[in-house]
Amino acid sequence: MNLRHVERSTWIYLAFALVLFIVPFLVTGRSMQFIIIQIFIFGIFAMSYDLLLGYTGIISFGHVMFFGIGAYSTGIIMDRMEPTIPNMLLSVLVAFIIAGIVSFIVGILTLRLKSHFYAMLTLALAGLFLVAAEKWRDVTGGYDGFTFRVPDILRESQNLYFLSLVSLVLIFFGLRRLTKSPFGRVLMSIRENEQRTESLGYKVLHYKVIASVVSGVIASFAGVLYIISIRFVNTDVFATDLTIDVLLMTIIGGVGTLIGPIIGAGLIEFAHHWLSSLSDVHWIFERWIILYGTVYILVVIFFPLGIVGTIRAKFLGSSAKKGLKDNQKSEAI
Amino acid sequence: MDLIFSLLINGLATGMLIFLLAAGLTLIFGLMSVLNFAHGGLFIWGAYTGVWFYQMTNSFFLGIIVAIITGLLIGYVTERIIVRPVYGNHIQQILITLGFMLVLQELIKVVFGPQQIAVFPPEWLSGSFLVGDVVLIKYRLFIIAVGILVFAICMFILKKTRIGLIVRAGVINKEMVQSLGINIRLVFMLVFMVGAALAALSGILHAPYSGNLYAEMGLEFSILAFIVVVIGGMGSFTGSLLAALLVGLAQAFMAYYFPALSLAVNMLLMTIVLVFRPQGLFRVKG
Repeated sequence: MNLRHVERSTWIYLAFALVLFIVPFLVTGRSMQFIIIQIFIFGIFAMSYDLLLGYTGIISFGHVMFFGIGAYSTGIIMDRMEPTIPNMLLSVLVAFIIAGIVSFIVGILTLRLKSHFYAMLTLALAGLFLVAAEKWRDVTGGYDGFTFRVPDILRESQNLYFLSLVSLVLIFFGLRRLTKSPFGRVLMSIRENEQRTESLGYKVLHYKVIASVVSGVIASFAGVLYIISIRFVNTDVFATDLTIDVLLMTIIGGVGTLIGPIIGAGLIEFAHHWLSSLSDVHWIFERWIILYGTVYILVVIFFPLGIVGTIRAKFLGSSAKKGLKDNQKSEAI
Repeated sequence: MDLIFSLLINGLATGMLIFLLAAGLTLIFGLMSVLNFAHGGLFIWGAYTGVWFYQMTNSFFLGIIVAIITGLLIGYVTERIIVRPVYGNHIQQILITLGFMLVLQELIKVVFGPQQIAVFPPEWLSGSFLVGDVVLIKYRLFIIAVGILVFAICMFILKKTRIGLIVRAGVINKEMVQSLGINIRLVFMLVFMVGAALAALSGILHAPYSGNLYAEMGLEFSILAFIVVVIGGMGSFTGSLLAALLVGLAQAFMAYYFPALSLAVNMLLMTIVLVFRPQGLFRVKG
């Protein structure tokens, strides 16, 4: 590989990742490390969402179902079998297969629909998964959930840190490669104008389904990492709140930028931590969702490109993306 | 036999409540192609303000009036501030109305407290009639009656008055209506406010029916309304009534016979309709 052909931004991202590799030696507090691990995990989750929302222009309100599938696959396998590394890899494989199949079926059935139907249907489907997890108590333990053991090596906070960081970096570069490939260009053209893409001869449904399967599988991996980091699983992993969290991270960070959702994840996780610690000061901080919701509405109206998108549009001018501004005609019924 | 009969009444009552919520949703969608994810927020605001007034004055009737006024006001604010900036952009609409739904839901907890509130029907509506050996619960009959009344009034307005004509024409072709010199923005706002008021009415009627109130109820209940709007066909008023009754009945019977499957059945109904007849069972003809 000729290094001269590597883009400058790639070096910047790599340098940034290297800095993150040093962090656990500087920040040794367990709770702080835990927050950073959560940021990495939700960064992965949010990137998978960005592939749908930012690159393909699909709004899913049920993305949490893949996260939950990953979480429960690992939780149940770790609980029923010995907590060893091979079993964990097996659980990851199981998560990928289930998430892949579910996202494929959901995609085939629903991605032909207009955006509102898709949003609604995914919201309801995720609700169905939540209900199923609550009712199927023999396996899932319902809302009470269950704790389980993880491989010893991953009990160490530092090791978990490196695992999630390496995953984040690999998935980031993988998705970046994917979105810059001809395949990614087709996804973006679907976002900009679905009808025109179709009339150019691309099978739009085909591309959308692949995007949703890739996104679903990555989301399930985020679920696996999440559940290993907290070693406890209950129906919260299917809660709508998580979809909303990841939606906020993606929108605030910047849709269609990949790095934006990671930054969004950082902001939201820190805000989460900080605001809930403030709830001792005044009870209003327990209702931090109001603040989130308001910020989110303002961002959608005034900065539809998010933090990264707005900065790029300001400083890089021509490469400004249209982001959320799809046009009305392609959506009209 | 009397079991089936009481499940029937139960299902029709639930169906009417869903219809009141879905009616606004479907008209707003048909006219402005805005899918209002914040509709459930109007539902709980109607329920909470109405119940608050009802428990304060002990007059259920006043509670209903207050709920409707709240619905109109919040509907006005929602249309002006939240929906108007994003007309014509579906992705932004979906995102922003969901955000507003969250804000409305959390504001409920700030204003009325996060705990559940127990609500009972007023005295003149509690108890039941006994016809033969069938028990008819008064409050459920009341809900059904209100639902029929609202449907009749709306149908009358839609079919017999000038504003109704404009709304129906707008659903079919809004550019044409606008080019005939009608201020379609004003009509949008009116329909949005009426839809919001219906959602609020549904909320206050639902409160004594389910017996308790909590903030998350709005989102849960509006999922049923979405299912109804999809099954009935977006923009079809009669369609949403029939679909709501269908969903209500399915809900009531499944909840009794197979409780675990009650949501799944409605979801399945919606999925089947979406896959085989994405325009819904009752398409608005243009």
